[in-house]
Amino acid sequence: MLITGIRSKPIYAPLQPDLGGRYHLMVGYGVGAAPLSRLLGDFDRAMPESKAHTRIWYVADAAAPQANTEAFRAANIAELRSFNAIDPMLSDLTAAMDQALMGTRLYVAGPESFMGLVMRIAHGFNLAQDEVRAEECGTLARRVHCIHCRETIENVRTNIVQCGCSRWLVVRDHYSRRLAAYMGVMIDAEAPGERPEIKEVFL
Amino acid sequence: MNVALKKMDQVYRGEYTFTNSPAAVRRFPLPFPEDRYMYSVNIEPHVAGPAGSVIEFPIDCDEHYVEECYERALVIKRDPLRIQALPHMMSAQWDTLELGMQSLSQSYPHWFTLTRQGRGWHWINRPLGLDQHFTFGDPASLPQPPLEYITRQLQGDWVIMDQRDNDLWVEGGMVTGPADWSMDFDMGMSFKEWHGPVPLGHEMGVFDRALKFLLNLRLNEPVRRYNWTMTVNANLDSSPHNYDEWGPDRSTVTLENVAKKLHLRTELQGLWRLPRSNGIVFMVRTYMLSLADVATVPKWARRVHRVLRDLHPALVDYKGLTRHRPIAVQYLSQFDDGSPTTSGTAPE
Amino acid sequence: MSASHADTIPVRVVAVEQITPQIKHFRFAPIAGGELPAFSGGSHIIVVMRGAQRVYRNPYSLMSSPNELDSYQISVLRVEPSRGGSTFMHEQVQVGTELEIAHPVNLFGLAKLARKHLLLAGGIGITPFMAQLHDLRLTEVPFELHYATRSPQHGAYCELIAQAEPQRARLYHDSAQRFIDIEELLSRQPLGTHVYVCGPAGMITRVLDTARALGWPESHVHYEKFAAPPTGEAFDVHLQKSGIDLHVLPDQSLLEAIEAAGVDAPYLCRGGVCGFCRAEVLSVDGELVHNDHYLSNDEKASGKAIMPCVSRARCSKLVLNL
Repeated sequence: MLITGIRSKPIYAPLQPDLGGRYHLMVGYGVGAAPLSRLLGDFDRAMPESKAHTRIWYVADAAAPQANTEAFRAANIAELRSFNAIDPMLSDLTAAMDQALMGTRLYVAGPESFMGLVMRIAHGFNLAQDEVRAEECGTLARRVHCIHCRETIENVRTNIVQCGCSRWLVVRDHYSRRLAAYMGVMIDAEAPGERPEIKEVFL
Repeated sequence: MNVALKKMDQVYRGEYTFTNSPAAVRRFPLPFPEDRYMYSVNIEPHVAGPAGSVIEFPIDCDEHYVEECYERALVIKRDPLRIQALPHMMSAQWDTLELGMQSLSQSYPHWFTLTRQGRGWHWINRPLGLDQHFTFGDPASLPQPPLEYITRQLQGDWVIMDQRDNDLWVEGGMVTGPADWSMDFDMGMSFKEWHGPVPLGHEMGVFDRALKFLLNLRLNEPVRRYNWTMTVNANLDSSPHNYDEWGPDRSTVTLENVAKKLHLRTELQGLWRLPRSNGIVFMVRTYMLSLADVATVPKWARRVHRVLRDLHPALVDYKGLTRHRPIAVQYLSQFDDGSPTTSGTAPE
Repeated sequence: MSASHADTIPVRVVAVEQITPQIKHFRFAPIAGGELPAFSGGSHIIVVMRGAQRVYRNPYSLMSSPNELDSYQISVLRVEPSRGGSTFMHEQVQVGTELEIAHPVNLFGLAKLARKHLLLAGGIGITPFMAQLHDLRLTEVPFELHYATRSPQHGAYCELIAQAEPQRARLYHDSAQRFIDIEELLSRQPLGTHVYVCGPAGMITRVLDTARALGWPESHVHYEKFAAPPTGEAFDVHLQKSGIDLHVLPDQSLLEAIEAAGVDAPYLCRGGVCGFCRAEVLSVDGELVHNDHYLSNDEKASGKAIMPCVSRARCSKLVLNL
């Protein structure tokens, strides 16, 4: 079966201002602060008046430096909110999107697993592809959905991982936005015990 | 139909008592019109084919009808997530129910009867012993939601898709006999996303063209195409979910048992535009034929030998044939004297 | 015209009503009895009208309820100057007239994932929305209909709509100087709203432009489109190998004309994607009109190949190697 080179794997791009949008909501986690700062700078040059309709929500990651949030404060935008954990931010995001208007643009920056959770919420509000922009940065560690027991394994850095159900899974590039996870399939079903070398590939 | 008194739960699993009668062998849809195989957009109008063929009627019911429905019920009991539909797909569910009931009652009036008085419908399914009055459009009047209700009485897997944003989205279905794909995992994917794991097709532009064609699919003008793979044992439910159950069988094929164990598996795929939802329903109707039965038709034996022997490596891998292809080729080579085969899929 | 493909439904006109000086309402029932095909709101049908000189094929939105299939209802605006279709409907179609209609096609469907639907209608553009109102009432999704006409006298079904949807429909009349404030409307809609516009070209353009300026993504802005019939200009064809000359009519595909001439040309999908019907072009005294999705841009430009199932030519003589 195809493991890599699968077209359901999301493709990300550096964040760029969408000057056609009216309201800009920027969401970042950990090292995602850097792309958001860069984005703010781009907006400032291209359309300074957008500040009044720009909001940034930032979730700190204990491992990432805090310095970039100063750049957020200095940008003088309409709202800056800081969170210590992802879940409370996601919950507030849902409430905010319920009140948001057409013309809103969502910008997301951070590791892929964080972005998958944000995108899932955006999908619930029927956001179109060109209303959301996502830039991947930081760890490539994956959320993996065990296709057998249907549990999610967080933070997978290796090509092969053992699930809580004790099966050894190969991590494929086949990605589900609904589950915000990659498919993990048993690697040694046909020849039990025969497994390729485990390598750290999603660093 | 004559339904032999056999243990229904051993046909497609366990003892694998599945067999094809001689008539079923001859009507098997060979998926190879020529001696080599590669992907193509082999879509054609789904119009009536020769009497007795699998395409005589829009939805084919064959001698395996009852046991296949029984097998479906077994799979769902073990894994209820094999039947799903997202909330916005209810009108597509009703569309599919209507398609199934109208088709079966028109094609096989001695087995199925549908009478309608306005929204009051009366459905009789004699092979399965069902007699159901219900209100079309009212889910509470059926024992299961409409898609589940009708597909429990249809052979083949059924997927319903929404059309929006110039794309098709898989957002419901009954999938209990897949060739190694998971509807649960693929729920919500676009056309190219759920075909993501298929090698070569994207580079060849096959999916671009297929999508463009399907976006323009019209009411009353269904289309069909054929796909294929191979299965060890008559194992219909070869899904990723239970891969640890059927996967090991791939390593058990030997020259002694390949004729009986290895099955050629054809998918007759049908696609209909749905009237009320404007979506599309996708039927994957599966037919299995053991290599032993293939070998009883000289033209097919030569052709299948050549197709397997010369198959592109990426397809060998994608279709899961790596372990047993050499054995199959070796077995079939005894029937191939090199003489030409006629084009087309008929037994001759 | 090949028979198996694109069958039409014979219908009889069972009611005709003059709604406004320019608009006539028609109701069709199937000649064979029973029900007409189910459809989704926003669908249109092609009505085939056989005039003395020529055949008209005009698309009209279905305005009847998708839940009542004993008949279809359409409304026709008399267009001046007319290519003939609407004039034919107004002057030659009466109760009892028999016509053919194609199966419904929907290129203006409601978005199933919308969190709100905003319907904007101008004049005769109200028709697809009238069918969609029936679908919308079955969902829990909020919607609004804004309907603008020249005056209450020119507006079809204004009273009907006002009575049926006192909360969710608003009427505007140019005569009373009440116009839809498109900018105001589009600037205050919640995320996930879809806007649908059907009306005069100018109105559609205004809505599209305003939506874009206010940051609406294209996927959330819908405007009424009709399926283009496979027509073009007539042209002549010479089949080199068969030695046959044939004429392709405006409403007939090249493949159909070849088949009608008794030539067994290969085909599969009949939709321009599979490549089976590919024919070699030997010469053309004009230009090829490629409507397929199979040939590469280079192949199309080379002028050496054509897909007869969907493509045509603008010329007096096309020579194929068939």
